[in-house]
Amino acid sequence: MKRRRSGVLTVSLVFVLALGGCAAKKPEKVSIRFATWDSEETLALQQALVDQFVATNPDIEVVLEGYGDDFDTKLAAGLGAEDAPDVMYMWNFSHYKGGLEPLDGWIAKEKRGFKKDFYETLFNYTSIDNKTLGLPIGYTTHVVYYNKALFDKAGVSYPKGDWTWDELLATAKKVANPKEKIYGFAFQGAPDPYDFEHYLWNAGAGYLGAEGKLRGGIDSPKVIALLEKMQTAMKEGYAVATEGSGAKELRSGKVAMFINGSWSMPAIQKDGIPFGLAKLPSVEEGRPSVSVVSISGIAMYAKSKHKEAAWRFMKFWTSAEANKFRIGHEMPVLRSVAEGEKLTADPLMSVYYTMLEQSAGHVPTSYRVENWSELSDKIGQALQKIFNPSIYESPEKSIAALVE
Amino acid sequence: MTKAQRRIAKGRGAAVRGAIGRWGATPYLFILPWLVGFVAFTLGPLLFSAAMSLFSWPVLGAPRFVGLGNYRTMLTDDPQFWKSLAITLKFAAIFVPLNLAAALGLALLISRPVRGAALFRSIFYLPSVVSSVAVAIVWSWILNSEYGILNWLLGRLGLQGPRWLQDPAWAVIAMVITSLWGVGTMMLIFYTALKSIPRDIYEDALIAGASPIQQFFSITLPLITPSFLFNLITSTIGAMQQLSLVLLLTKGGPLKSTYFYGLYVYENAFRHFKLGYAAANAWFMFIIILVLTGLIFKSSSLWVFYEHEVAGARKGGNA
Repeated sequence: MKRRRSGVLTVSLVFVLALGGCAAKKPEKVSIRFATWDSEETLALQQALVDQFVATNPDIEVVLEGYGDDFDTKLAAGLGAEDAPDVMYMWNFSHYKGGLEPLDGWIAKEKRGFKKDFYETLFNYTSIDNKTLGLPIGYTTHVVYYNKALFDKAGVSYPKGDWTWDELLATAKKVANPKEKIYGFAFQGAPDPYDFEHYLWNAGAGYLGAEGKLRGGIDSPKVIALLEKMQTAMKEGYAVATEGSGAKELRSGKVAMFINGSWSMPAIQKDGIPFGLAKLPSVEEGRPSVSVVSISGIAMYAKSKHKEAAWRFMKFWTSAEANKFRIGHEMPVLRSVAEGEKLTADPLMSVYYTMLEQSAGHVPTSYRVENWSELSDKIGQALQKIFNPSIYESPEKSIAALVE
Repeated sequence: MTKAQRRIAKGRGAAVRGAIGRWGATPYLFILPWLVGFVAFTLGPLLFSAAMSLFSWPVLGAPRFVGLGNYRTMLTDDPQFWKSLAITLKFAAIFVPLNLAAALGLALLISRPVRGAALFRSIFYLPSVVSSVAVAIVWSWILNSEYGILNWLLGRLGLQGPRWLQDPAWAVIAMVITSLWGVGTMMLIFYTALKSIPRDIYEDALIAGASPIQQFFSITLPLITPSFLFNLITSTIGAMQQLSLVLLLTKGGPLKSTYFYGLYVYENAFRHFKLGYAAANAWFMFIIILVLTGLIFKSSSLWVFYEHEVAGARKGGNA
């Protein structure tokens, strides 16, 4: 496969050279750098997609730079040295906003309706201060994973449709089996405040109150009540605080339910564990639940010297064919692709899409404040005190200390 | 240095001087690749970071000169700085003695002339060649408080194991245990030192009626003190700079109980984007390590025994 492609490449290269010779004019070739966090197989897939672009755009050369786990460190170093890649994958928009090219002008030049096929919620996650800083590539919402085998064993029916936290915890209690150290639900012992915000959203609040302070936000009585319910479930022994998301524990048959984005799916599927996905629970009956979105986008370097070429590449990277190409390791962000490929009808994948539709209109605090990295540190510490079984500080006390 | 050694050294010096005279700059051209690398990748960045520490230097945006402002903030206005420093010193204080003891203990075991010693030598060294990422993943399983093998083993002994990575009181201990995993390199250094002790000294001691314990404290230990000094210094520096393990295993948690100084510097630079401040942090640690190493060196004249310093005297006595 690989060899054949390089053969084709050689042939086309010869062809291009011959053509160039005929015209006696070398087309000016522009080279752009494209940084990704992928590695190994998915990096190879991306290279294949880059090759497709280059084959149809002979005037642009694209150098794919795979930063892997060091993505943020290398990107920060590149930005600091004013030598960042022209196009880059992007997730932490608020962190890097100063180095990113606002795309609204570029989008305006396109046909009207360029953004129409995208799930519009996703642009909330690629924009800051009403400036679009990136185009969505993939996303995940957060859902409840459940181990069907443990539900069957306990004779409990699978979760379905809308439900509330009270129902989830009651279900967890029924599925749990303290004698065999099987827990009904896993909380993250040290939750990432970014991912945690939807618990507050579901309780009708956010981290910050109307005045942009923690007071009047995270200390809302409904949030405290929810945190108390969570802590009680752990104290009573049918829920557990895990070091990671809880996926490890679900895979080893020790936990019946946990909440996470789509990242946990490949490993669980590989283990052949029978599992299902359910929507996040809401706090009150009748109010649909919402989820934080974790986004993969691409962005352009504000100081790129080849913005025209970069934009052409970005358009290709967000095209329907590119979205289709990535199915299996990135969830399509275009309605036409998600619906055309029947993902919105798939019993597993549809849950992520339903959560996405339900979560329209919410924007995480990290997109709205300047000092998120410090604020998130403080919030994280307060949450840890509540969820850490060696401490179990009362939510009221922990949050009161945070708000001070 | 014995007279003979001194003579050789002197001769070599003359040869080198001769070479420069005869060949001019040629020898320097040979070391040029290293020299360029050293200036570009070690000395240059070192000096650059010293300059950076005097600036407020965001990743995005222009640097602003603040003089010693970063150092002032660090020492007077950043509680996390002192906390991280204290955690790191605590870790070093527990880890370094244990590490030296474990390395020496293992070296003593494998230096015995027993069958299979070579095999154990490899086995004990093996963890040192495993990448720290793999070590972190393996240990995150071993230390899992609910399902980990360590707590399972403790359970078999009737003990309730702690929540290693979740209990702020135990997490540093867990880091010590995990770090001890890489004891192999130090063990090898002790092993070679043990092997270089002449056997006839032990034979003399045996004839004089010294017990194995007396032999250990009067012969073995004094004769390996130079390696001990080396291991003490490298181990201390390693402990003060520990980063990869906490980055991979605990991310500084629970509740910042393993928020080591290295992680503090790293996060200031790459998470909070305060490059100048992080450079100041790093320089402060550099000075601490310099002082610590200096103190250890200074103390070494009291307890490190160099054979060649007394070798001449002993020979003289024999004659």
